[in-house]
Amino acid sequence: MPQFDLHFLSPLVFWSVVSFGALLFLLYRYAFPEIFRRLEEREKTIKDSLDQAERLKQEAQQLLSQYEAKLKSVHDEGRTILEAARKQAQEQLEENEQRIEQETRRMLADARSEIQRERQEVLREIQRTAADLTLLAAEKVLARSLTDVDHRRLIEEAVLEIARQHKTT
Amino acid sequence: MENPLEHFELHTLILLRLFGLDISINQAVVMIWVVCAAVFLFFWAATRNARLIPTKLQSIAELGVEFLRGLILENMGEKGMKLFPFIATLFFFILFSNLLGLIPGAYTVTSQVMVNGILALAVFALSVIMGVALHGAHYLSIFLPQGTPWWLMPLMILVEIISQLARPITLAVRLFANMTAGHTVINVLLGLVLLGGVVLGWMPLGFTVALYLLEVLVAFIQAYVFTVLTTVYIGDAIKLH
Repeated sequence: MPQFDLHFLSPLVFWSVVSFGALLFLLYRYAFPEIFRRLEEREKTIKDSLDQAERLKQEAQQLLSQYEAKLKSVHDEGRTILEAARKQAQEQLEENEQRIEQETRRMLADARSEIQRERQEVLREIQRTAADLTLLAAEKVLARSLTDVDHRRLIEEAVLEIARQHKTT
Repeated sequence: MENPLEHFELHTLILLRLFGLDISINQAVVMIWVVCAAVFLFFWAATRNARLIPTKLQSIAELGVEFLRGLILENMGEKGMKLFPFIATLFFFILFSNLLGLIPGAYTVTSQVMVNGILALAVFALSVIMGVALHGAHYLSIFLPQGTPWWLMPLMILVEIISQLARPITLAVRLFANMTAGHTVINVLLGLVLLGGVVLGWMPLGFTVALYLLEVLVAFIQAYVFTVLTTVYIGDAIKLH
């Protein structure tokens, strides 16, 4: 076989050793450290990223629970406020009702007394008118004027008497 | 039909002498340079614009480095990482030799038993150096497996010495034989293509294509096997059973 031709032993061995040695040196010097550096850097980056993700996750969890607590307190506060407002409204309502009732009662009483007064007035008016009419009638009947105060008083007394009798009957 | 082994014949291209030593340039030497340049260019390109999110080439280089590191840690332990540059260079040198040798017309460096031999001897020498450096005289216990009965000792020592010496030889010959055989078979089949002509030639041609694919696989496997055995052999010396 041509590969066993020892004529080429020394060139092959020499150049193998020299070339391989040179390659080994170059890779050892320039390539491998760079690759290992990259690999370590990447490993570190990934680890850091994972750590950071974990930290952020914990932070987020904490914030979430904080917000939940805050939300709950706000909710409770809202309910308290609502409850107070409802109570106040209820009180207001009751007070208003009471006030209206009183007002109504007062107005009713006023109206009643007014009516009473009006009635008295009307009655007096009727008495006066009746007296005038009676005087007029009497004047006509007697054909003379009854301007005399005594007469007038007499007639008014008569009318009052009639009115009293009318009231009692 | 031409001699299928003619492909492996070396021809001196430039006559060179250094202190009386013949260091003439032949195709294999040129190819060694090409392989070394290719490996270096590959790593140069892979690390030139290296970044955190790797480029494709960077990924391949890093994959190879990670793979070799795993191999070393598994077979040699943490101490073996000192030899990482040597073992990685060995792997990529053999791999590129095997692969570039598949280019038609290119010479397959690893089909030269003398090249493989010097690499295997370097591995053997390293294992001895590591063993002696780490364990001193105790390294000799590598020739005597633990628990050997006293009456078996002479035989076991003999067997272990042979086994140790056989390692570099098998390492070199395995690679040489695989490369030579693959290329020879392809050569023979290509000769058959010419013989078969248009009518029958397509059959061996098809086989050639299939074998070429197989040879690509073999190129990787043989580089891997050589490297694994290197780590195991040196690992033995580091761990001493």
